[in-house]
Amino acid sequence: MEELTIALTKGRLAEKSMKLLTKAGYPCREMEEDSRKLIFRNDALALSFFLSKGPDVPTYVEYGAADIGITGSDIIMEENRRAYEVLDLGFGKCRMCVAGPESARQLLEHHEMIRVASKYPNIAREYFQNRRHQTVDIIKLNGSVELGPIVQLSDVIVDIVETGSTLRENGLTVLDTVCDLSARMIVNQVSMQMKTDRILELIGRVRDVLEEKA
Amino acid sequence: MTDRQELLHTPEGVWDHYGKDYMEYTRTAHQVKLAFHAYGYEDIKTPTFEFFDVFSREVGTTPSRELYKFFDREGNTLVLRPDFTPSVARCAAKYFRESSEPLRFCYEGSAFQNTANLQGKLHESTELGAELIGDGTAAGDAEVIAMLIDGILKTGLTKFQISVGNVEYFKGICEAAGLDADTERDLRDALSGKNYFKVQDLLKDRNVAEIYRDQIMRITGFMRDGKDLEEAREKTSSRRAQAALERLLDLDRLLEDYGFEKYVSYDLSLLSRYQYYTGILFKGYTYGVGEPIASGGRYDGLLAHFGKDAPAVGFMIPLDTMVEALRAQHIPIKVPEGPTVLTYTEEDFAKVLQKAKALRAEGARVVMTRAKTEDAG
Repeated sequence: MEELTIALTKGRLAEKSMKLLTKAGYPCREMEEDSRKLIFRNDALALSFFLSKGPDVPTYVEYGAADIGITGSDIIMEENRRAYEVLDLGFGKCRMCVAGPESARQLLEHHEMIRVASKYPNIAREYFQNRRHQTVDIIKLNGSVELGPIVQLSDVIVDIVETGSTLRENGLTVLDTVCDLSARMIVNQVSMQMKTDRILELIGRVRDVLEEKA
Repeated sequence: MTDRQELLHTPEGVWDHYGKDYMEYTRTAHQVKLAFHAYGYEDIKTPTFEFFDVFSREVGTTPSRELYKFFDREGNTLVLRPDFTPSVARCAAKYFRESSEPLRFCYEGSAFQNTANLQGKLHESTELGAELIGDGTAAGDAEVIAMLIDGILKTGLTKFQISVGNVEYFKGICEAAGLDADTERDLRDALSGKNYFKVQDLLKDRNVAEIYRDQIMRITGFMRDGKDLEEAREKTSSRRAQAALERLLDLDRLLEDYGFEKYVSYDLSLLSRYQYYTGILFKGYTYGVGEPIASGGRYDGLLAHFGKDAPAVGFMIPLDTMVEALRAQHIPIKVPEGPTVLTYTEEDFAKVLQKAKALRAEGARVVMTRAKTEDAG
């Protein structure tokens, strides 16, 4: 049997991904044990799993270091790597939003220059240039993006919103939705051609589990 | 000292090749070119840089921002070629305008793409390729694909797959369904990314008629052989899409005559970012690398852009990816033995030189070095 390598996003997403894969018949007991291993194997099924930071998952998949990857669609959009996006896994649902103080709403109405703080500079640029036709100055931040408008580093932010409570506590509101997000399965384009049967079988079985749920 | 150290680095995306490592590249290129020459293709060399218009948006090659551009004294915009096909097409249109005979060219050289940094992509890469100009038949398609397979086999690679599609199938169904240009573009992006759920959403969102939805979803399926193609042909009502599948069926039969059917499969979702492709499209895949080891297709409209109305088909092999694949699969690349070393002293130089000359005349590689003496530095 051809070996399959699957890259997962560290944290909650990995847990949910493994639950789904286990149900679909692709378990990995090694992963449930507490260990310092970087790669987890299921020799009987010729599977390898590894955990990585979200933004690295598309990179591993693009280069073929992993055949399959599971990560958020925000990361896939931001990284814009070449890989096949084959399944919407339905979990990890949230939204990519433009947020800021209520007073910033009028800045979105005109084609004026706007300052945006974000962890997602590519998504932010895409949105303001192509959808709002607005000149944009993007400031890349690496965390606590909400600070941007509060300390007047930027007019608004582009960030992931789950419940919106962090925004509310800091006097910010959602001004617009850029897009809906969820976890996706991506596949390396060469693996798809060279290991077609195994990968299509995996996609099919995962899809069956998802449809059963729905 | 530190200033000098900085001088030693190369810019991002380019690197030095030397020694045995480089010899593996040149030997691999040599092997592939043996196949090109065996099919009667002639070497062609076009300039490294050309006027911007050769690679402009209308030609449909690399996006403008990924081109290396600069100006000449007169203020013309020049571009380092990102892709050989438009250059070869321009050259053929210029020098063979009146000729109706098929032209067969092959090339090897650098292509330049100014892509984003830190993505591990080469900005200067060596490409090997071939173009068949003036033959619009399925036999032309088959010749080029067979030559590609022979070229890959010559390198020692045996486990690979050439995936063939036909853009006309997709265009035919879009035309029959009366889809607007925006929908067609969005669908093309989603399909070429194998993003099935997005395709489904798009079909629903844009109110595409039920009968065409199934035909478009069919694009996402894999086709192993002629039987799958025939089945797809029966399911579609678009004349244009049927013709596209018939063309692939003809190709399938021809490749069987070549004895190469086991290397070929069909994938209708293969749609290139180069918009000059008009008919069949193909990509070569193998284990050990994340990128195709070959890509090509038919571009019947490109030469007309340069003033010669002629069909054409061609492909290119990125040499760096090819070598990476050979190494990943532990396929030895035969490189010549190191040179014979002859040492000489001041006294016997003339004698050793005679020996070296004789060996060199026989074709051997000979290095002459001065014998180390006690007092020599």
